[in-house]
Amino acid sequence: MTTTTSPNMHPSADDPRVLLDEEIGVFEPVPPYPPRTEREAEFYTLGDGQMFLNLGPQHPATHGVLRVVLKLDGERIVDLDPVLGYLHRGVEKLCENADFHQTIAYMDPLEYIASLFCEWPAVMAYEKLLDVQVPRRAEYLRVLTGELNRISSHALAIGFHALDLGGITPILYSFIERDEIVEMLASITGQRMLFNYFRVGGVNGDVNHDFMSRLGDWMSRAMEQIEANLGLLNENEIFVRRNRGVGVMDGRTAMQMCWTGPNLRASGVPLDFRRAHPYSVYPELDFDVPTRTEGDSLARYLIRVEEIKQSLRIIDQCLHQMPDGPVIANVPRLLRPRPGRAYAAVEGPRGEYAIYAVSDGTDQPFRFRIHDPSFLHLQSFGLLAPGGLIADWMTINASLDPVMGGIDK
Amino acid sequence: MTTVARAWGRLTLPGKVVFTLLPLLAALTTGLVVTIVVFGSAVSDIVLANLGIVRFAAAAAIIIVITIPIAFLNIYLEMKIIARMNLRVGPDRVGPWGSLLSVVHGLKVLVKEDFTPTGADPVVFTWAPVVTYGAAIMTLLVLPFAPGLYGQDFNIGLLYFFAVGGLGVVGLLMGGWASFNKYSLLGGLRSAAQIISYEIPLTLSVVGLLILAGTMSLNQIVQQQSGWFSDWFVFRQPLGFLIFFIAATAEGNRTPFDLTEADQEIVAGFATEYSGMRFGFFFFAEYVNVFVLSALTVVLFLGGWNAPFPFPELAIPLDPGGLGIPLLFLIALVPVIATLVLAAPFYLIRSSVRWWVALIIGFVLFNVLAGGLVFAWAFVSFDWVAGLVWFMAKTFGFVFLFVWMRGTLPRVRIDQLMGFAWKWLLPAALLNLFVTAAAVVVVGS
Repeated sequence: MTTTTSPNMHPSADDPRVLLDEEIGVFEPVPPYPPRTEREAEFYTLGDGQMFLNLGPQHPATHGVLRVVLKLDGERIVDLDPVLGYLHRGVEKLCENADFHQTIAYMDPLEYIASLFCEWPAVMAYEKLLDVQVPRRAEYLRVLTGELNRISSHALAIGFHALDLGGITPILYSFIERDEIVEMLASITGQRMLFNYFRVGGVNGDVNHDFMSRLGDWMSRAMEQIEANLGLLNENEIFVRRNRGVGVMDGRTAMQMCWTGPNLRASGVPLDFRRAHPYSVYPELDFDVPTRTEGDSLARYLIRVEEIKQSLRIIDQCLHQMPDGPVIANVPRLLRPRPGRAYAAVEGPRGEYAIYAVSDGTDQPFRFRIHDPSFLHLQSFGLLAPGGLIADWMTINASLDPVMGGIDK
Repeated sequence: MTTVARAWGRLTLPGKVVFTLLPLLAALTTGLVVTIVVFGSAVSDIVLANLGIVRFAAAAAIIIVITIPIAFLNIYLEMKIIARMNLRVGPDRVGPWGSLLSVVHGLKVLVKEDFTPTGADPVVFTWAPVVTYGAAIMTLLVLPFAPGLYGQDFNIGLLYFFAVGGLGVVGLLMGGWASFNKYSLLGGLRSAAQIISYEIPLTLSVVGLLILAGTMSLNQIVQQQSGWFSDWFVFRQPLGFLIFFIAATAEGNRTPFDLTEADQEIVAGFATEYSGMRFGFFFFAEYVNVFVLSALTVVLFLGGWNAPFPFPELAIPLDPGGLGIPLLFLIALVPVIATLVLAAPFYLIRSSVRWWVALIIGFVLFNVLAGGLVFAWAFVSFDWVAGLVWFMAKTFGFVFLFVWMRGTLPRVRIDQLMGFAWKWLLPAALLNLFVTAAAVVVVGS
């Protein structure tokens, strides 16, 4: 019993020997091993009047299987420790043992809310390795489906934001948007969530009548519908007060914490990879990069609302400018890129999705690394949450909008 | 012996039930008849001598029983109304428009495993829901539903209501403490902080009304509001009404003040470890509380059982005996003739309707019509029927308001909740009290 218990001697639910003990102990969320770092030793030592609260991995507001150990003083968060790994599948290693084409399918469940944005950097990296020129129609199709997916992701983020604050209706209104978009994308890609649509050198299929009729129908009323749904939140005093000034992040710290995407832009840094490192046909498209300076949860919510409007603009332009032509380049079935390495990044709904792929000349990537923005946002919890209440943690978590599929890979 | 056993074995399950219950029923009936015959006069003497106690016991029994349909109705309304607000269909499988789903929910919590977690204090854990539910139903005792339809008419009715209603939090605190779970503990402590804070503006907001009414008896408060709807206290105490309604929302743990069971924050609060019927009691208590708080709002501020306008006194005398024997026989024919008349169009117009289907439709239609007529007659003839209808209509209007708020509003944070109670509601309630008292002094002198 003395060898592996932590110094403050809390029996842990993770420790199988706890079950053998006769007496009933308080199951504290303390790791069963001795602290590995000074930080761990400090965190798992309770001060006067403090207690641990184990949040997750099964908890209604953790957006998946995130587990966070909160150190509380009453309801105030003193410190916290996110515990990851409950959804770890070893995707990077799986991809290193798969054909280049097969890896694209592994990308989808990383980002199960907006799958296309994980496929996109992968195919872009392979195209760099192979030096493939993507047809312009395929690029427009990627932008079109990508922006649709961004809207569906943002709509869901907004809905879950409200749900985590206790409002049960906005999530269902968000799902109306998401469902219409997902049905559209299903008619073009064949799948509702895990699209597997992008291919090395293009996309899997051209637009069809079903897609275009659904899209035209939706575009005619999308803005109006979204505005109407958001009225429930924008003008809601409780919602605004729950968000304003909660989880404030200044731009400098945000950049130091490697934030990207809407969360960074809410802190006043106008970094958008579509403009900063232009890829695909984004240089030809006219859209704004909305930023806000507050850096709080409300700003992060409002940035997402603005981005939905910008995405609608982009979709409109895509539909008008899309050229005719093939949707996929002439790419061999078996890809054997020259030895080399490639890094490709796209602007997803949560920030920078990037793939770093190294080829050794075989048909499998030699090294495959995934850069996921949610992970980097999650690691800022320790800066944002302490000092707030438990309810503020829910607000911060919802406003950062993490997706656990990408965090645990 | 074997013959009896074989005959018993041939019976189906309903047969076995009938053959078990019939002798029991016969024995009980015989016993009851014998008791009444032998001790009847003595029993009736005792009952008459202690009419108050008997009335109290009957009222208590009826109130305990009536909370269950009230809770079922509130749960169903909440499911259905929120579903419509969410653009969903809501329950639609069990019963017409899914109306029996809450009954099925009730049966479900009855048959579920009633689990006591390791480390919980079993006695406190078991009694917590009883305390909460008991507090919820005991408040019903003083509510005047209609003229003459109330459990007890205390002259301290309102005080009793607040005193007993405040006991509910003890159950929540007990449940939160005894569950041996940190989420439960946080939920229990939240409910204690919240309800103690909101009791004060809740009670202070009605003091102005009490100055005007001059009584604490809920019956007399309602009687003072009779006449036109402008006589309701809501028009004389608008600020008091607003404070009372907000504080009542917090008192009933309803959105946006449902912090005690904030599922996104503390999973289910005090009810996290509860399952089965013990959870069911908490659940029922919440919905009975919604009804009770709506009813109290109606009683205090919206005229209780009073119609919004002076209702014309129509007593339609029904005296079937005065018709004479031949006409009475003719009345017996009315259902038959009406059924046939109502069935005829269905049978004649649509050839696909078989004659017996048309008869069933006609019979149902006749019953609906007859029921409607009887109800209309009762409504204009008996003031307690009319009063009950007005009272329930207003009360369920408020229940709808509570549900509407749940479908619309997010939850406030605990510090905002406390700040709102102490910084805004309490000064506003004191201001209301001061203005009312000053007005009474000025007008009275």
